[in-house]
Amino acid sequence: MEFIKVESLSFTYPECTAPAVDSVSFAAEQGSFNVLCGATGCGKSTLLRLFKRELEVRGERSGRILYRGTPTDKLETKVSASRIGFVMQDPEQQIVTDKVWHELAFGLESLGTPQDVIARRTAEMASYFGIGSLYEKNTAELSGGQKQLLNLAAVMVMQPELLILDEPTAQLDPVAASDFISTLKKLNDDFGLTIMIAEHRLEEVIPLCSQLLIMERGRIILSGSPRDVIPRITDADIMSGMPSAARLFSSLDGRGACPVTVREGRDFLTGSYRNSARKIEENEYTHSPDTALGFKDVYFRYSKESPDVLNGLSFSIYTGELVCILGGNGSGKTTSLCTAAGLLRAYSGTVRVFGRKLKEYRNQSLYRGCLAMLPQDVKTVFLKNTVREELADAGIAPEELPFSLDDVLERHPYDLSGGQQQLAALAKVLAVKPRLLLLDEPTKALDPAAKLNIGRVLRKLRDEGMTIAIVTHDVEFAALFADRCMMFFNGKIVSEGTPRSFFADNSFYTTAISRMTRGFFDNAVTVTDAAELCRRNGAADDTD
Amino acid sequence: MRSFSEFNPAVVFLYFMFVTGPAMFCSNPVILVLSLAGAVTFFLVRNGSAHLKSHLGFFLLFVILALINPLISHNGVTVLFVLNNNPVTLEALLYGINSAVMVIAALYWLRSLTQIMTGDRLMYIFGRFSPKLALLISMTLRFVPLFSRQTAKTRNAQKALGLYKDDNIIDTILGDMRVYSIVITWALENGIITADSMSARGYGTGRRTSFSVFRMGLRDVILLIVTGALFAVCCIAAAQGSLKFGFYPALSRLQTDSTALAGIICYGVLAFLPSVIDMEVNIRWNLLRSRA
Repeated sequence: MEFIKVESLSFTYPECTAPAVDSVSFAAEQGSFNVLCGATGCGKSTLLRLFKRELEVRGERSGRILYRGTPTDKLETKVSASRIGFVMQDPEQQIVTDKVWHELAFGLESLGTPQDVIARRTAEMASYFGIGSLYEKNTAELSGGQKQLLNLAAVMVMQPELLILDEPTAQLDPVAASDFISTLKKLNDDFGLTIMIAEHRLEEVIPLCSQLLIMERGRIILSGSPRDVIPRITDADIMSGMPSAARLFSSLDGRGACPVTVREGRDFLTGSYRNSARKIEENEYTHSPDTALGFKDVYFRYSKESPDVLNGLSFSIYTGELVCILGGNGSGKTTSLCTAAGLLRAYSGTVRVFGRKLKEYRNQSLYRGCLAMLPQDVKTVFLKNTVREELADAGIAPEELPFSLDDVLERHPYDLSGGQQQLAALAKVLAVKPRLLLLDEPTKALDPAAKLNIGRVLRKLRDEGMTIAIVTHDVEFAALFADRCMMFFNGKIVSEGTPRSFFADNSFYTTAISRMTRGFFDNAVTVTDAAELCRRNGAADDTD
Repeated sequence: MRSFSEFNPAVVFLYFMFVTGPAMFCSNPVILVLSLAGAVTFFLVRNGSAHLKSHLGFFLLFVILALINPLISHNGVTVLFVLNNNPVTLEALLYGINSAVMVIAALYWLRSLTQIMTGDRLMYIFGRFSPKLALLISMTLRFVPLFSRQTAKTRNAQKALGLYKDDNIIDTILGDMRVYSIVITWALENGIITADSMSARGYGTGRRTSFSVFRMGLRDVILLIVTGALFAVCCIAAAQGSLKFGFYPALSRLQTDSTALAGIICYGVLAFLPSVIDMEVNIRWNLLRSRA
């Protein structure tokens, strides 16, 4: 008897003709690590929710899901609630209570578990997840990564056998995300926990994966072990989310086993290709002489007692550039953007926007045709009930936009996917015709296709003369789209350069391809770079 | 070795009831002075030299409260002087001071109480009556700061987009209204996800239990019995009329029979008990450290 068996499962939302989930069948063994991927809106979330009776939504359903041979809708309520765990995307909104210990206890309280059992299980879980020191804290004090670990721990106290996760790392920065993924691996290894995860960030998940399921328009089009499945992917959007090693392999039409980790990718490269041509030639980068945003010896702190967040920060962004500012959490990236946008005031140093000091812009003139900033949480940009009203409110017609929002004009901004939200927010910003655009983590929570799309839109805006400064964690995005990259550390900029030289010089804070080709090629940072160099060099066995 | 605030919240809460009760319902000046002294000492033991400015504020309030009564009440037999054809009497002045002591003492107890009784402690106390109420309190405590943070974030976002004007008061109000309306939508949206997260973890499948990190230990029971007994003695003394004191028309004599003395001594012990517990903890800690 299989642990999980899905039998021709279909689901149609009310007032929809096309099914969101369309005759899906697959099986999963106990202790397997299943990864579900596909573009936004392909039915992943709907499928995952069908596993959990408590989360059922209204609609037409046929087929069934068997959990240890019992259909999920016939499971006892307590079994369904505790044996199938569910973790959602947003770390903040899943948290119910104000204290960490209470959040951990919540599920067990709901099941009516006696006090002493709750005490033991929450203590156990807190120690296992390394959040023991946070036990008595307020949930509001935790960082995003800690919140998501808490959500996972709060599900794990109920001792589930199947754990379902719907894009759990989408809102996390890369360090927290990889922490989270390694915790999943540990749970899978230590307890044989069965995992079913929908993800966009596949670089780290695929190596753990025992069954990869690719979804498209409600159907599972490919399934099996990642090494078998990835070479068979034809859709470019889905391919763009796969690990770099696998993408390089498939863009070179490689033979043999598909590599999925950096190490395997390296073995594949060194085993199959020569490296007499090591370098991609670059034209000297020239920027315009005019400064759009200039920081000079800027110091900032949040309160008198706290340490400096900006610590003698100096840098210049020139007009017509697209600059990515990278750096770890708490390095002061977002603070520097808020300072540039006049939301925070530095206690020392000068900030100039187009040559004028910030305080010379009076009565909001800074925000009129000059500078605009998109915050990290784009939901805070929206005030109206439909996208059309939003645009009208901001004073821009849909036709004036450099991209199309026609499909979503009548929808509520909150109902859009992450990528569409980002575009709608960008549209509102464009209404004030800024010459300098500041963006805070624009690729957060986007699927790979939406990331590429946003990148292309920003490129287009830059070509039309806009200066764009982006604060991001996303090294792959920066490598693809930036003119220049800067590394932020401890309140100042420590290095800068064009993406190729910047990422080739970094050893850890760099793209997977750069790590893969270190010492073999000199400055390959993207899959295209590496593939180009491989083609130039030719296969290793050609000479023999 | 636990400081007073670390005792079981229910015991601590009852203590505050015990100590403020007699001070509120009897006008015996000795009891009131003991109450004020106990309250201020406890606050100082807990906070040290922090909040210095606020003490000044409370002192001013004390002076104002003490002076108002003689200005509006002209009862009493000992006239000090005449102001605008109205006699100002010694008895009214003393009565004013006495009430001011009572009010300021109550305020100081309240300050310590609000410092100690954090949300989770209150929830522990009220959660015993209803696990649902406990959850509601906990969710509210989480939600209110979340809501105001989202409001601030939205306002900043609108400002940096150049869509939020605060040049004049009308613009500010209109802008705020737009922000509030969307933050409410956000809260409802948020609520749906939170509700999903709750039902996914079995909310509503049956009777809930209420878990808490607080335990009732032997020391808590002892403290409860001691404070309860002290309170009982004060009550008996008050019930027998031994703590009665009148200001009008002339000051009555303080009673010094054994019941009155017992009541006053017990109240004094009660009022200084938390300060003694906290100071003892400090001293014991320093001793332990110096020996090590």
